[in-house]
Amino acid sequence: MKLTPTARDRISAFWMLLPTFLILIGFYLYPTLYNLELSFTDITLLRLRQGGDFVGLENYSEFLTSSSFLDIAINTIFWLTVVSVVLRLALGLVVALLLNSKFLQDIRMTTVARLIILVPWATPPVVAVIAWRWLFDPTHGAINSLLLSTGLISDPVAFLATLTTVWPAIITIIVWNTTPLVAVSLLAALQTIPEELNEAAAIDGATRWQQFRFVTLPYLMPTISVLGLMSVIWTFNNFVYVWLATGAGPGTFTNVLATEVYLKAFVDLRIGYSSAIGVVMAVVMAAFGALYFRFFGLSEMQDKVG
Amino acid sequence: MSISAQKTGLSGLIERGGMLALFLVLMTFLLAPAVFVFKGSVENISISLVANEGGLTLKNYGKILSDGYFVYVFNSLYICILATVLSCTISLFAAYGLSRFRFPGRGFVFGAIMGGQFFPWIILVNPIFIFFARAGLINSHLGLILCYTAFITPFTVYLLVGYLTTIPKSLDEAAIVDGANRLQVIWMVILPIMWPGLVAAATFGFLQSWSEYLLALALITEDGLKTIPLGLYQYFGDVQVDWGAVMAGSVVATVPTLLLFLPLQKKLVAGLTQGATK
Repeated sequence: MKLTPTARDRISAFWMLLPTFLILIGFYLYPTLYNLELSFTDITLLRLRQGGDFVGLENYSEFLTSSSFLDIAINTIFWLTVVSVVLRLALGLVVALLLNSKFLQDIRMTTVARLIILVPWATPPVVAVIAWRWLFDPTHGAINSLLLSTGLISDPVAFLATLTTVWPAIITIIVWNTTPLVAVSLLAALQTIPEELNEAAAIDGATRWQQFRFVTLPYLMPTISVLGLMSVIWTFNNFVYVWLATGAGPGTFTNVLATEVYLKAFVDLRIGYSSAIGVVMAVVMAAFGALYFRFFGLSEMQDKVG
Repeated sequence: MSISAQKTGLSGLIERGGMLALFLVLMTFLLAPAVFVFKGSVENISISLVANEGGLTLKNYGKILSDGYFVYVFNSLYICILATVLSCTISLFAAYGLSRFRFPGRGFVFGAIMGGQFFPWIILVNPIFIFFARAGLINSHLGLILCYTAFITPFTVYLLVGYLTTIPKSLDEAAIVDGANRLQVIWMVILPIMWPGLVAAATFGFLQSWSEYLLALALITEDGLKTIPLGLYQYFGDVQVDWGAVMAGSVVATVPTLLLFLPLQKKLVAGLTQGATK
Protein backbone atom coordinates (compact mmCIF):
# COMPACT_ATOMS: atom_id res chain seq x y z
CA MET A 1 0.00 0.00 0.00
CA LYS A 2 1.36 3.39 -0.96
CA LEU A 3 0.76 6.19 1.53
CA THR A 4 0.35 9.81 0.53
CA PRO A 5 3.11 12.11 1.88
CA THR A 6 0.59 13.78 4.23
CA ALA A 7 -0.49 10.49 5.71
CA ARG A 8 3.12 9.41 6.12
CA ASP A 9 3.92 12.70 7.89
CA ARG A 10 1.01 12.24 10.25
CA ILE A 11 2.18 8.75 11.17
CA SER A 12 5.71 10.09 11.81
CA ALA A 13 4.30 12.90 13.94
CA PHE A 14 2.24 10.40 15.92
CA TRP A 15 5.23 8.23 16.81
CA MET A 16 7.43 11.20 17.59
CA LEU A 17 4.90 12.74 19.95
CA LEU A 18 3.75 9.50 21.56
CA PRO A 19 6.29 9.36 24.46
CA THR A 20 5.64 12.97 25.44
CA PHE A 21 1.92 12.40 25.14
CA LEU A 22 2.14 9.35 27.42
CA ILE A 23 4.04 11.42 29.98
CA LEU A 24 1.45 14.18 29.86
CA ILE A 25 -1.33 11.65 30.41
CA GLY A 26 0.46 9.41 32.92
CA PHE A 27 2.04 12.08 35.10
CA TYR A 28 -0.25 15.07 34.64
CA LEU A 29 -3.77 14.31 33.41
CA TYR A 30 -4.50 10.96 35.04
CA PRO A 31 -3.05 11.85 38.49
CA THR A 32 -5.03 15.10 38.43
CA LEU A 33 -8.25 13.21 37.77
CA TYR A 34 -7.34 10.56 40.33
CA ASN A 35 -6.64 13.33 42.85
CA LEU A 36 -10.13 14.64 42.17
CA GLU A 37 -11.55 11.17 42.84
CA LEU A 38 -9.52 10.84 46.07
CA SER A 39 -10.87 14.17 47.29
CA PHE A 40 -14.37 12.68 47.51
CA THR A 41 -13.21 9.83 49.76
CA ASP A 42 -11.94 9.41 53.31
CA ILE A 43 -8.90 7.40 52.21
CA THR A 44 -5.98 7.46 54.64
CA LEU A 45 -2.33 6.55 54.25
CA LEU A 46 -2.86 3.53 56.53
CA ARG A 47 -5.69 2.14 54.41
CA LEU A 48 -4.16 2.62 50.96
CA ARG A 49 -4.87 -0.95 49.83
CA GLN A 50 -8.53 -1.00 50.83
CA GLY A 51 -9.14 2.49 49.47
CA GLY A 52 -11.56 4.89 51.08
CA ASP A 53 -15.31 5.33 51.25
CA PHE A 54 -17.14 7.91 49.22
CA VAL A 55 -17.94 10.92 51.40
CA GLY A 56 -19.14 13.40 48.81
CA LEU A 57 -18.15 16.98 49.44
CA GLU A 58 -17.40 16.43 53.13
CA ASN A 59 -13.66 17.09 52.78
CA TYR A 60 -14.33 20.33 50.96
CA SER A 61 -16.86 21.62 53.47
CA GLU A 62 -14.59 20.61 56.34
CA PHE A 63 -11.64 22.48 54.87
CA LEU A 64 -13.53 25.58 53.78
CA THR A 65 -15.24 25.94 57.18
CA SER A 66 -12.25 24.92 59.31
CA SER A 67 -10.87 27.50 61.72
CA SER A 68 -7.48 27.45 59.99
CA PHE A 69 -8.84 28.06 56.47
CA LEU A 70 -8.83 31.85 56.70
CA ASP A 71 -5.30 31.96 58.14
CA ILE A 72 -3.99 29.61 55.47
CA ALA A 73 -5.70 31.58 52.71
CA ILE A 74 -4.30 34.91 53.97
CA ASN A 75 -0.82 33.43 54.42
CA THR A 76 -0.84 31.96 50.91
CA ILE A 77 -2.42 34.82 49.01
CA PHE A 78 -1.11 37.85 50.89
CA TRP A 79 2.25 36.90 52.38
CA LEU A 80 3.59 34.11 50.22
CA THR A 81 2.26 35.37 46.88
CA VAL A 82 1.35 39.07 46.78
CA VAL A 83 4.08 40.46 49.03
CA SER A 84 6.88 38.33 47.65
CA VAL A 85 5.90 38.87 43.99
CA VAL A 86 5.47 42.65 44.35
CA LEU A 87 8.78 42.96 46.18
CA ARG A 88 10.71 40.87 43.70
CA LEU A 89 9.27 42.83 40.76
CA ALA A 90 10.08 46.17 42.41
CA LEU A 91 13.56 45.14 43.46
CA GLY A 92 14.24 43.49 40.11
CA LEU A 93 13.20 46.70 38.34
CA VAL A 94 15.52 48.80 40.53
CA VAL A 95 18.44 46.45 39.86
CA ALA A 96 17.73 46.43 36.12
CA LEU A 97 17.49 50.25 35.95
CA LEU A 98 20.75 50.60 37.88
CA LEU A 99 22.54 48.13 35.62
CA ASN A 100 21.23 49.94 32.56
CA SER A 101 22.30 53.37 33.80
CA LYS A 102 25.15 55.11 32.03
CA PHE A 103 26.80 55.87 35.36
CA LEU A 104 27.31 52.23 36.33
CA GLN A 105 28.44 51.41 32.82
CA ASP A 106 30.97 54.25 33.06
CA ILE A 107 32.49 52.89 36.26
CA ARG A 108 32.56 49.41 34.63
CA MET A 109 30.38 47.75 37.23
CA THR A 110 27.89 45.98 34.97
CA THR A 111 29.91 42.83 34.34
CA VAL A 112 30.71 42.42 38.03
CA ALA A 113 27.05 43.01 38.88
CA ARG A 114 25.88 40.45 36.33
CA LEU A 115 28.15 37.85 37.92
CA ILE A 116 26.92 38.75 41.41
CA ILE A 117 23.29 38.45 40.30
CA LEU A 118 24.03 34.98 39.02
CA VAL A 119 24.88 33.72 42.51
CA PRO A 120 21.42 33.86 44.17
CA TRP A 121 19.84 32.81 40.88
CA ALA A 122 21.94 29.66 40.57
CA THR A 123 21.51 28.78 44.24
CA PRO A 124 19.01 25.92 44.59
CA PRO A 125 16.03 26.94 46.80
CA VAL A 126 16.99 24.30 49.38
CA VAL A 127 20.40 25.91 49.75
CA ALA A 128 18.94 29.44 49.71
CA VAL A 129 16.84 28.56 52.74
CA ILE A 130 19.88 27.06 54.50
CA ALA A 131 21.98 30.17 53.78
CA TRP A 132 19.38 32.46 55.33
CA ARG A 133 18.70 30.16 58.29
CA TRP A 134 22.42 30.47 58.94
CA LEU A 135 22.27 34.28 58.70
CA PHE A 136 19.13 34.45 60.85
CA ASP A 137 20.43 32.01 63.47
CA PRO A 138 20.19 33.47 66.99
CA THR A 139 23.46 31.95 68.22
CA HIS A 140 25.82 32.04 65.25
CA GLY A 141 23.98 34.23 62.73
CA ALA A 142 25.66 37.21 61.13
CA ILE A 143 22.51 39.36 61.23
CA ASN A 144 22.13 38.98 64.98
CA SER A 145 25.79 39.71 65.66
CA LEU A 146 25.57 42.81 63.44
CA LEU A 147 22.43 44.08 65.19
CA LEU A 148 23.86 43.29 68.62
CA SER A 149 27.17 45.02 67.93
CA THR A 150 25.43 48.17 66.67
CA GLY A 151 23.20 48.14 69.73
CA LEU A 152 19.96 48.00 67.73
CA ILE A 153 18.85 44.98 69.75
CA SER A 154 19.97 43.88 73.18
CA ASP A 155 19.08 40.18 72.90
CA PRO A 156 19.42 37.86 69.90
CA VAL A 157 16.22 37.49 67.85
CA ALA A 158 15.16 34.09 66.52
CA PHE A 159 13.83 35.65 63.31
CA LEU A 160 12.22 32.46 61.99
CA ALA A 161 10.54 31.61 65.29
CA THR A 162 9.16 35.03 66.26
CA LEU A 163 5.65 35.93 65.13
CA THR A 164 6.47 39.50 64.12
CA THR A 165 9.56 38.62 62.08
CA VAL A 166 8.84 35.20 60.62
CA TRP A 167 6.96 36.33 57.49
CA PRO A 168 9.36 39.15 56.62
CA ALA A 169 12.19 36.62 57.08
CA ILE A 170 10.60 34.06 54.75
CA ILE A 171 9.85 36.80 52.19
CA THR A 172 13.51 37.87 52.36
CA ILE A 173 14.60 34.35 51.43
CA ILE A 174 12.15 34.14 48.51
CA VAL A 175 12.99 37.62 47.22
CA TRP A 176 16.73 36.91 47.43
CA ASN A 177 16.36 33.71 45.45
CA THR A 178 13.91 34.96 42.80
CA THR A 179 14.83 38.61 42.12
CA PRO A 180 17.75 37.84 39.75
CA LEU A 181 15.47 36.26 37.14
CA VAL A 182 13.25 39.37 37.19
CA ALA A 183 16.23 41.73 37.11
CA VAL A 184 17.95 40.02 34.20
CA SER A 185 14.71 39.72 32.20
CA LEU A 186 13.86 43.39 32.73
CA LEU A 187 17.42 44.41 31.86
CA ALA A 188 17.11 42.51 28.58
CA ALA A 189 13.85 44.38 27.88
CA LEU A 190 15.37 47.75 28.86
CA GLN A 191 18.17 47.27 26.39
CA THR A 192 15.67 47.00 23.54
CA ILE A 193 14.23 50.49 24.19
CA PRO A 194 15.34 52.70 21.29
CA GLU A 195 17.56 55.54 22.52
CA GLU A 196 15.62 58.02 20.34
CA LEU A 197 12.47 57.56 22.45
CA ASN A 198 14.13 58.95 25.57
CA GLU A 199 15.97 61.62 23.60
CA ALA A 200 12.76 62.79 21.96
CA ALA A 201 11.05 62.93 25.35
CA ALA A 202 13.96 64.90 26.79
CA ILE A 203 13.85 67.41 23.94
CA ASP A 204 10.12 67.82 24.55
CA GLY A 205 11.02 68.86 28.11
CA ALA A 206 10.09 65.67 29.96
CA THR A 207 11.69 65.30 33.39
CA ARG A 208 13.53 62.08 34.15
CA TRP A 209 10.58 60.85 36.20
CA GLN A 210 8.24 61.62 33.28
CA GLN A 211 10.55 59.75 30.93
CA PHE A 212 10.48 56.76 33.22
CA ARG A 213 6.72 56.98 33.78
CA PHE A 214 5.66 57.57 30.17
CA VAL A 215 8.40 55.98 28.07
CA THR A 216 10.32 53.31 30.01
CA LEU A 217 7.53 51.82 32.11
CA PRO A 218 4.99 51.39 29.28
CA TYR A 219 7.74 49.77 27.25
CA LEU A 220 8.53 47.31 30.06
CA MET A 221 4.90 46.61 30.95
CA PRO A 222 4.44 43.45 28.81
CA THR A 223 7.59 41.90 30.30
CA ILE A 224 6.57 42.93 33.83
CA SER A 225 3.13 41.36 33.36
CA VAL A 226 4.49 38.08 32.05
CA LEU A 227 7.05 37.89 34.86
CA GLY A 228 4.41 38.81 37.43
CA LEU A 229 1.97 36.18 36.28
CA MET A 230 4.65 33.48 36.06
CA SER A 231 5.90 34.43 39.52
CA VAL A 232 2.39 34.23 40.95
CA ILE A 233 1.89 30.77 39.49
CA TRP A 234 5.28 29.52 40.73
CA THR A 235 5.01 31.04 44.19
CA PHE A 236 1.39 30.28 45.03
CA ASN A 237 2.14 26.53 44.81
CA ASN A 238 5.52 26.73 46.41
CA PHE A 239 6.23 24.22 49.12
CA VAL A 240 9.96 24.38 49.82
CA TYR A 241 10.48 27.92 51.08
CA VAL A 242 7.94 27.80 53.90
CA TRP A 243 8.44 24.13 54.67
CA LEU A 244 12.21 24.30 54.97
CA ALA A 245 12.38 27.73 56.61
CA THR A 246 9.81 27.16 59.37
CA GLY A 247 8.01 23.85 58.81
CA ALA A 248 4.82 25.98 58.68
CA GLY A 249 5.59 27.19 62.22
CA PRO A 250 5.94 28.55 64.79
CA GLY A 251 2.93 26.33 65.52
CA THR A 252 0.99 26.67 62.29
CA PHE A 253 1.54 30.42 62.05
CA THR A 254 3.08 30.35 58.54
CA ASN A 255 1.03 27.44 57.18
CA VAL A 256 0.19 27.85 53.48
CA LEU A 257 -1.90 25.72 51.08
CA ALA A 258 1.08 23.71 49.82
CA THR A 259 2.36 22.87 53.30
CA GLU A 260 -1.20 22.08 54.44
CA VAL A 261 -1.54 19.56 51.57
CA TYR A 262 1.67 17.88 52.69
CA LEU A 263 0.90 18.01 56.43
CA LYS A 264 -2.60 16.57 56.00
CA ALA A 265 -1.39 13.74 53.74
CA PHE A 266 1.92 12.75 55.30
CA VAL A 267 1.61 13.82 58.94
CA ASP A 268 -2.14 13.41 59.63
CA LEU A 269 -2.23 10.64 56.98
CA ARG A 270 -5.57 11.93 55.61
CA ILE A 271 -4.95 11.61 51.88
CA GLY A 272 -8.58 12.27 50.90
CA TYR A 273 -8.80 15.51 52.83
CA SER A 274 -5.38 16.61 51.58
CA SER A 275 -6.44 15.89 47.99
CA ALA A 276 -9.49 18.14 48.41
CA ILE A 277 -7.13 21.02 49.36
CA GLY A 278 -5.10 20.18 46.27
CA VAL A 279 -8.22 20.47 44.11
CA VAL A 280 -8.96 23.90 45.63
CA MET A 281 -5.40 24.95 44.71
CA ALA A 282 -5.77 23.54 41.21
CA VAL A 283 -8.95 25.56 40.63
CA VAL A 284 -7.22 28.79 41.67
CA MET A 285 -4.23 27.93 39.50
CA ALA A 286 -6.44 27.10 36.53
CA ALA A 287 -7.80 30.65 36.73
CA PHE A 288 -4.29 32.11 36.65
CA GLY A 289 -3.30 29.68 33.90
CA ALA A 290 -6.27 30.84 31.84
CA LEU A 291 -5.16 34.45 32.36
CA TYR A 292 -1.66 33.54 31.18
CA PHE A 293 -2.95 31.89 28.04
CA ARG A 294 -5.40 34.69 27.43
CA PHE A 295 -2.69 37.36 27.48
CA PHE A 296 0.54 35.68 26.46
CA GLY A 297 0.18 32.02 25.67
CA LEU A 298 -1.75 32.31 22.44
CA SER A 299 0.41 34.95 20.77
CA GLU A 300 3.47 32.99 21.78
CA MET A 301 2.06 29.77 20.42
CA GLN A 302 1.42 31.50 17.12
CA ASP A 303 5.02 32.68 17.09
CA LYS A 304 6.26 29.21 17.77
CA VAL A 305 4.09 26.88 15.78
CA GLY A 306 1.98 29.14 13.57
CA MET B 1 17.98 56.92 31.84
CA SER B 2 21.18 57.88 30.09
CA ILE B 3 20.74 61.57 30.85
CA SER B 4 21.94 61.08 34.42
CA ALA B 5 25.62 61.05 33.56
CA GLN B 6 25.37 64.34 31.73
CA LYS B 7 24.30 66.22 34.84
CA THR B 8 27.16 68.09 36.43
CA GLY B 9 27.80 69.95 39.64
CA LEU B 10 26.60 69.20 43.11
CA SER B 11 23.22 67.67 42.25
CA GLY B 12 24.90 65.32 39.81
CA LEU B 13 27.43 64.32 42.44
CA ILE B 14 24.74 63.61 45.03
CA GLU B 15 22.77 61.63 42.50
CA ARG B 16 25.74 59.48 41.52
CA GLY B 17 26.64 58.98 45.16
CA GLY B 18 23.07 57.84 45.86
CA MET B 19 23.08 55.46 42.91
CA LEU B 20 26.41 54.00 43.97
CA ALA B 21 25.22 53.54 47.55
CA LEU B 22 21.99 51.86 46.41
CA PHE B 23 23.98 49.67 44.05
CA LEU B 24 26.37 48.60 46.80
CA VAL B 25 23.53 47.84 49.23
CA LEU B 26 21.70 45.71 46.64
CA MET B 27 24.83 43.85 45.59
CA THR B 28 25.69 43.15 49.24
CA PHE B 29 22.19 41.77 49.77
CA LEU B 30 22.55 39.50 46.74
CA LEU B 31 26.09 38.29 47.42
CA ALA B 32 26.48 38.26 51.22
CA PRO B 33 24.48 35.07 51.97
CA ALA B 34 26.61 33.05 49.58
CA VAL B 35 29.80 34.53 51.04
CA PHE B 36 28.70 33.61 54.55
CA VAL B 37 27.87 30.07 53.48
CA PHE B 38 31.30 29.66 51.94
CA LYS B 39 32.96 31.27 54.96
CA GLY B 40 31.01 28.99 57.29
CA SER B 41 32.11 25.94 55.33
CA VAL B 42 35.82 26.61 56.03
CA GLU B 43 35.46 27.74 59.65
CA ASN B 44 35.45 25.94 62.96
CA ILE B 45 31.88 26.31 64.16
CA SER B 46 31.15 24.74 67.51
CA ILE B 47 27.93 22.77 67.74
CA SER B 48 27.47 23.74 71.36
CA LEU B 49 26.83 27.30 72.51
CA VAL B 50 30.52 27.87 73.29
CA ALA B 51 32.17 30.59 71.20
CA ASN B 52 33.59 29.69 67.80
CA GLU B 53 37.07 28.29 67.91
CA GLY B 54 38.00 30.33 64.86
CA GLY B 55 40.60 29.67 62.21
CA LEU B 56 40.31 28.19 58.75
CA THR B 57 39.82 24.47 58.35
CA LEU B 58 38.77 21.83 55.89
CA LYS B 59 37.38 19.60 58.61
CA ASN B 60 33.76 20.36 57.62
CA TYR B 61 34.44 18.94 54.17
CA GLY B 62 36.24 16.03 55.80
CA LYS B 63 33.21 15.45 57.98
CA ILE B 64 30.67 15.31 55.14
CA LEU B 65 33.03 13.00 53.27
CA SER B 66 33.18 10.57 56.20
CA ASP B 67 29.42 11.00 56.85
CA GLY B 68 28.61 9.52 53.49
CA TYR B 69 27.35 12.78 51.99
CA PHE B 70 28.97 11.65 48.72
CA VAL B 71 26.30 8.95 48.53
CA TYR B 72 23.68 11.72 48.18
CA VAL B 73 25.88 13.48 45.63
CA PHE B 74 26.24 10.27 43.64
CA ASN B 75 22.48 9.54 43.85
CA SER B 76 21.62 13.08 42.72
CA LEU B 77 24.12 12.99 39.88
CA TYR B 78 22.97 9.76 38.33
CA ILE B 79 19.25 10.30 38.89
CA CYS B 80 19.37 13.80 37.38
CA ILE B 81 21.62 12.80 34.48
CA LEU B 82 19.43 9.83 33.55
CA ALA B 83 16.24 11.88 33.83
CA THR B 84 17.81 14.63 31.70
CA VAL B 85 18.99 12.25 28.97
CA LEU B 86 15.60 10.50 28.91
CA SER B 87 13.70 13.76 28.82
CA CYS B 88 15.89 15.33 26.13
CA THR B 89 15.54 12.27 23.90
CA ILE B 90 11.76 12.20 23.95
CA SER B 91 11.59 16.01 23.85
CA LEU B 92 13.74 16.15 20.74
CA PHE B 93 11.30 13.91 18.87
CA ALA B 94 8.27 15.73 20.24
CA ALA B 95 9.71 19.12 19.33
CA TYR B 96 10.61 17.91 15.86
CA GLY B 97 7.12 16.51 15.34
CA LEU B 98 5.51 19.72 16.57
CA SER B 99 7.63 22.05 14.47
CA ARG B 100 7.72 20.07 11.23
CA PHE B 101 4.33 18.46 10.79
CA ARG B 102 0.82 19.82 10.64
CA PHE B 103 -1.81 17.51 12.05
CA PRO B 104 -5.16 17.83 13.78
CA GLY B 105 -4.83 18.66 17.49
CA ARG B 106 -1.36 20.17 17.11
CA GLY B 107 -2.33 23.42 18.83
CA PHE B 108 -3.91 21.46 21.66
CA VAL B 109 -0.79 19.35 22.22
CA PHE B 110 1.38 22.46 22.29
CA GLY B 111 -1.05 24.11 24.70
CA ALA B 112 -0.90 21.07 26.99
CA ILE B 113 2.90 21.24 26.97
CA MET B 114 2.79 24.96 27.81
CA GLY B 115 0.38 24.22 30.66
CA GLY B 116 2.62 21.44 31.95
CA GLN B 117 5.38 23.97 32.64
CA PHE B 118 3.25 25.70 35.23
CA PHE B 119 1.65 22.64 36.70
CA PRO B 120 1.59 22.62 40.51
CA TRP B 121 3.35 19.37 41.45
CA ILE B 122 2.15 19.61 45.03
CA ILE B 123 -1.24 18.46 43.68
CA LEU B 124 0.31 15.39 42.06
CA VAL B 125 2.14 14.17 45.15
CA ASN B 126 -0.83 12.29 46.67
CA PRO B 127 -1.92 10.40 43.54
CA ILE B 128 1.66 9.63 42.47
CA PHE B 129 2.49 8.43 45.98
CA ILE B 130 -0.47 6.02 45.82
CA PHE B 131 0.39 4.76 42.32
CA PHE B 132 4.00 4.24 43.34
CA ALA B 133 3.06 2.56 46.61
CA ARG B 134 0.92 0.09 44.68
CA ALA B 135 3.62 -0.44 42.05
CA GLY B 136 6.41 -0.86 44.62
CA LEU B 137 8.17 2.31 43.45
CA ILE B 138 8.49 3.95 46.88
CA ASN B 139 12.17 4.15 47.83
CA SER B 140 13.06 3.43 44.24
CA HIS B 141 15.35 5.51 42.09
CA LEU B 142 13.48 4.34 39.00
CA GLY B 143 10.35 6.04 40.33
CA LEU B 144 12.20 9.27 40.99
CA ILE B 145 13.85 9.22 37.55
CA LEU B 146 10.44 8.78 35.89
CA CYS B 147 8.99 11.64 37.94
CA TYR B 148 11.87 13.96 37.11
CA THR B 149 11.65 13.07 33.44
CA ALA B 150 7.98 13.99 33.48
CA PHE B 151 8.72 17.07 35.56
CA ILE B 152 11.26 18.61 33.16
CA THR B 153 9.87 17.45 29.79
CA PRO B 154 7.34 20.28 29.17
CA PHE B 155 9.93 23.02 29.42
CA THR B 156 12.49 21.01 27.44
CA VAL B 157 10.01 20.50 24.58
CA TYR B 158 9.13 24.19 24.71
CA LEU B 159 12.77 25.27 24.48
CA LEU B 160 13.55 22.82 21.68
CA VAL B 161 10.52 23.89 19.62
CA GLY B 162 11.90 27.41 19.90
CA TYR B 163 15.23 26.29 18.46
CA LEU B 164 13.74 24.08 15.77
CA THR B 165 11.57 26.83 14.32
CA THR B 166 14.76 28.80 13.59
CA ILE B 167 16.09 25.94 11.42
CA PRO B 168 14.66 26.22 7.89
CA LYS B 169 12.49 23.31 6.78
CA SER B 170 14.18 23.40 3.38
CA LEU B 171 17.18 21.63 4.95
CA ASP B 172 14.95 18.70 5.91
CA GLU B 173 13.34 18.64 2.51
CA ALA B 174 16.67 18.64 0.69
CA ALA B 175 17.81 15.64 2.74
CA ILE B 176 14.53 13.82 2.09
CA VAL B 177 14.85 14.39 -1.65
CA ASP B 178 18.30 12.81 -1.33
CA GLY B 179 16.60 9.72 0.13
CA ALA B 180 16.97 10.20 3.88
CA ASN B 181 14.17 9.20 6.21
CA ARG B 182 12.99 11.36 9.12
CA LEU B 183 15.24 9.68 11.70
CA GLN B 184 18.25 10.21 9.46
CA VAL B 185 17.20 13.83 9.00
CA ILE B 186 17.11 14.35 12.77
CA TRP B 187 20.40 12.55 13.31
CA MET B 188 22.43 13.95 10.41
CA VAL B 189 20.86 17.32 9.63
CA ILE B 190 19.05 18.66 12.72
CA LEU B 191 21.28 17.49 15.57
CA PRO B 192 24.54 18.96 14.24
CA ILE B 193 22.82 22.37 13.93
CA MET B 194 20.82 22.38 17.11
CA TRP B 195 23.17 20.79 19.63
CA PRO B 196 23.74 24.12 21.45
CA GLY B 197 19.98 24.29 21.99
CA LEU B 198 19.92 20.71 23.17
CA VAL B 199 22.76 21.41 25.59
CA ALA B 200 20.87 24.42 26.97
CA ALA B 201 17.69 22.37 27.40
CA ALA B 202 19.64 19.55 29.06
CA THR B 203 21.36 21.96 31.43
CA PHE B 204 18.05 23.44 32.42
CA GLY B 205 16.50 20.02 32.97
CA PHE B 206 19.45 18.91 35.06
CA LEU B 207 19.27 22.03 37.24
CA GLN B 208 15.53 21.58 37.75
CA SER B 209 15.86 18.02 38.97
CA TRP B 210 19.06 18.74 40.94
CA SER B 211 17.19 21.04 43.33
CA GLU B 212 13.88 19.15 43.45
CA TYR B 213 12.82 18.50 47.03
CA LEU B 214 9.11 17.73 47.37
CA LEU B 215 8.87 14.51 45.34
CA ALA B 216 12.09 13.19 46.82
CA LEU B 217 10.72 13.91 50.29
CA ALA B 218 7.49 12.05 49.60
CA LEU B 219 8.97 9.11 47.69
CA ILE B 220 12.34 8.42 49.35
CA THR B 221 12.67 7.59 53.04
CA GLU B 222 15.67 5.24 53.04
CA ASP B 223 18.85 7.10 53.94
CA GLY B 224 21.15 5.50 51.38
CA LEU B 225 18.75 6.37 48.55
CA LYS B 226 18.35 10.06 49.33
CA THR B 227 19.36 12.91 47.03
CA ILE B 228 21.31 16.05 47.97
CA PRO B 229 18.33 18.27 48.91
CA LEU B 230 17.13 15.63 51.38
CA GLY B 231 20.64 14.82 52.57
CA LEU B 232 21.37 18.44 53.44
CA TYR B 233 18.48 18.56 55.87
CA GLN B 234 19.74 15.46 57.65
CA TYR B 235 22.10 17.80 59.50
CA PHE B 236 19.26 19.76 61.05
CA GLY B 237 18.70 17.85 64.26
CA ASP B 238 15.81 18.40 66.66
CA VAL B 239 17.95 20.34 69.10
CA GLN B 240 21.10 21.40 67.32
CA VAL B 241 22.39 21.93 63.83
CA ASP B 242 25.80 20.83 62.60
CA TRP B 243 26.30 24.15 60.79
CA GLY B 244 29.82 23.40 59.57
CA ALA B 245 28.69 20.23 57.78
CA VAL B 246 25.55 21.94 56.42
CA MET B 247 27.64 24.78 54.96
CA ALA B 248 30.14 22.40 53.37
CA GLY B 249 27.26 20.33 51.96
CA SER B 250 25.61 23.49 50.61
CA VAL B 251 28.77 24.53 48.81
CA VAL B 252 29.05 21.08 47.24
CA ALA B 253 25.39 21.30 46.16
CA THR B 254 25.73 24.77 44.62
CA VAL B 255 29.09 24.71 42.80
CA PRO B 256 27.79 22.55 39.91
CA THR B 257 24.69 24.72 39.47
CA LEU B 258 26.81 27.89 39.39
CA LEU B 259 29.12 26.43 36.76
CA LEU B 260 26.20 25.26 34.63
CA PHE B 261 24.32 28.54 35.02
CA LEU B 262 27.06 30.77 33.68
CA PRO B 263 26.62 29.85 30.00
CA LEU B 264 22.88 29.26 30.31
CA GLN B 265 21.44 32.48 31.75
CA LYS B 266 20.92 34.45 28.55
CA LYS B 267 19.18 31.60 26.78
CA LEU B 268 16.86 31.12 29.74
CA VAL B 269 15.78 34.75 29.78
CA ALA B 270 15.16 34.72 26.05
CA GLY B 271 13.12 31.51 26.38
CA LEU B 272 11.01 32.80 29.23
CA THR B 273 9.95 36.26 28.14
CA GLN B 274 10.26 36.06 24.38
CA GLY B 275 6.53 36.07 23.84
CA ALA B 276 5.97 39.21 25.87
CA THR B 277 8.12 41.55 23.86
CA LYS B 278 6.78 40.70 20.43
